[in-house]
Amino acid sequence: MSFLQPLLSGILTGGVYALAGMGMSLVFGVMNISNFAHGDLMMLGMYMAFFAFTLLHIDPYVSLVLIIPTAFLFGFMLEKLFINRVIHHPHQNQILLTIGLGLIMSNTALLAFTSDPKILTTTYSSSAFNLPGGISLSVPLLISFLITGVTIAILYLFLAKSRTGMALRATSQNREAAQLMGINVAKMSAIAFGIGTALAATAGALIAPTYYIHPLAGHSFLLKAFTICVLGGLGSVVGAGVGGIIIGVVEAMSSTYWSTDWKDVIVFVLFLAVLLFRPQGLFGKKGGE
Amino acid sequence: MKKIALSVIAATAVALPIFIGENPYLIGIMISVLMMAALSSAWNILGGYAGQYSFGHAAYFGAGAYTTLILLTLYNSLNPLVCMAMGIVVASIIALITGSIVFRLRGHYFGLASIAVAEIVRLSVLNLEFTGGAQGILLSDVSLWGIDLNSKNPFYYGMLLVLVVTLSISQYLRTSKTGYYLQAIREDQDAAASLGINLAFYKNKALLISAALTSILGSLYGLYIRFIDTSAVLDLRLSIEIILTAIIGGVGTMWGPVVGALLLVPLAEMLRSNLLGDLLVKAGLVSETSGIGVFLKENLAHAHVLVYGIITVLCILYLPKGILGLFRRVK
Repeated sequence: MSFLQPLLSGILTGGVYALAGMGMSLVFGVMNISNFAHGDLMMLGMYMAFFAFTLLHIDPYVSLVLIIPTAFLFGFMLEKLFINRVIHHPHQNQILLTIGLGLIMSNTALLAFTSDPKILTTTYSSSAFNLPGGISLSVPLLISFLITGVTIAILYLFLAKSRTGMALRATSQNREAAQLMGINVAKMSAIAFGIGTALAATAGALIAPTYYIHPLAGHSFLLKAFTICVLGGLGSVVGAGVGGIIIGVVEAMSSTYWSTDWKDVIVFVLFLAVLLFRPQGLFGKKGGE
Repeated sequence: MKKIALSVIAATAVALPIFIGENPYLIGIMISVLMMAALSSAWNILGGYAGQYSFGHAAYFGAGAYTTLILLTLYNSLNPLVCMAMGIVVASIIALITGSIVFRLRGHYFGLASIAVAEIVRLSVLNLEFTGGAQGILLSDVSLWGIDLNSKNPFYYGMLLVLVVTLSISQYLRTSKTGYYLQAIREDQDAAASLGINLAFYKNKALLISAALTSILGSLYGLYIRFIDTSAVLDLRLSIEIILTAIIGGVGTMWGPVVGALLLVPLAEMLRSNLLGDLLVKAGLVSETSGIGVFLKENLAHAHVLVYGIITVLCILYLPKGILGLFRRVK
């Protein structure tokens, strides 16, 4: 089999991982919080896409128009109701709070949607796009990757050019200084968490047509998102983007050349290797560890 | 006064099986309470005293359980205590690898890395042949010095003994040099380092003690239940239950984990066996045939993790120092 096949499909899947990782990294950068509910927010995105498709007959990719604002509002509310109350607490309390919120989300989903995995089958779910050289790329993954690209471009422009984006970056660089400059850091936290949630839900909706949709699906994505953030450098949004692609490729390569069962193990070993050799991550500043 | 209270608690704990000996269900719950209290106390040595929150203690529990049961299925005549010791060795190796990678770093990394290590262990056990994979391991028969290990009482006293040992170590840590060093590390790492405390060494020491005790409990659990699989002994959920028990009782206090276990384990059991649903029906609050009644009857048994989530959130927001912290504030 051609070496290019796993490389290209790895990059396509990695794009979606990148989206999830960027959401987590943004929250980490602006709020200095490890969000352990991130995977469950992704799971909610998967279910939103599923129900938009089965109940409203909206294509999963088109349903993003509904999912993104809904998820943003949901994240904004979560921050206002829960997260901002522990923003000055020790890390471990923040982690436990988000774990608790995640447990509530996944187990409510378990009660409401049962543990039977759901499958979202579109007309193009199993179609593939054939390239010369016997390489085939799955159409849903290709569309997800394109949407991921557009989303990342919009996010980049928003962070680089808009006033809110600049305020977010300032808060991420130095919370106290940003506050002294008149930035409403409490509002920035809520916005960051809202965007983080929206990105997680987008990633969830984008992979919904190619994955089993399950209330506990968030679990494995949470750990992947962490690996991506640490690999890219905690708090670095650009780093998370690159980290996501790397993880996608590593996964695809290890499934092809070794075994699908061990691909998650390899990702976690990579995570430990990063902590051992380059704890600041690929794009993090040294000393941040 | 304190000594009298302690003696009464100890006497009650030792004599309890004599009173409820006829009821294996109650003994079973008490064994779970003791086990969770001991697990949480062992976690507390690292998380409470040294301030290093491990989110992957299931790895050490699973190391003990799996090592013991694998060895016993291979060599049936082996003394279970030898297997338990081997479990400690395996758990210590995992702990040393984790510690040597992560304790050089600050902040969020230990928590994250402890999960990664636990997941590597869980997935490896799930994918390997000799660990029984997804089917788990079933132990047919086991004996130790002619004690009947089919009855529950030996495990009650086994768990009680480990709990007492763990609490004694906690007590010792409160007033010993190592204990003061750990507490200094918890309060301010830079200040501790500037006073000449070898941060990595003492963190590793706490982790090793904690992992070894957790592994012993895993071995006991494996011998008691005689069937283990990854979802029972290596799941992230177990790690979180251990932390939650300590949080609810009071992190960093000696008796907090015990209080937490006394509250949480019976609550989980009530939810699991649907006692709570029955109680609501019997109290006349909901009718059995109404929509809510049917829903509760069908779902409450599966809802105990949801309840854990709600308790975690409420506890962090309103009771971050736990129940024992509440009493301290009143004083």
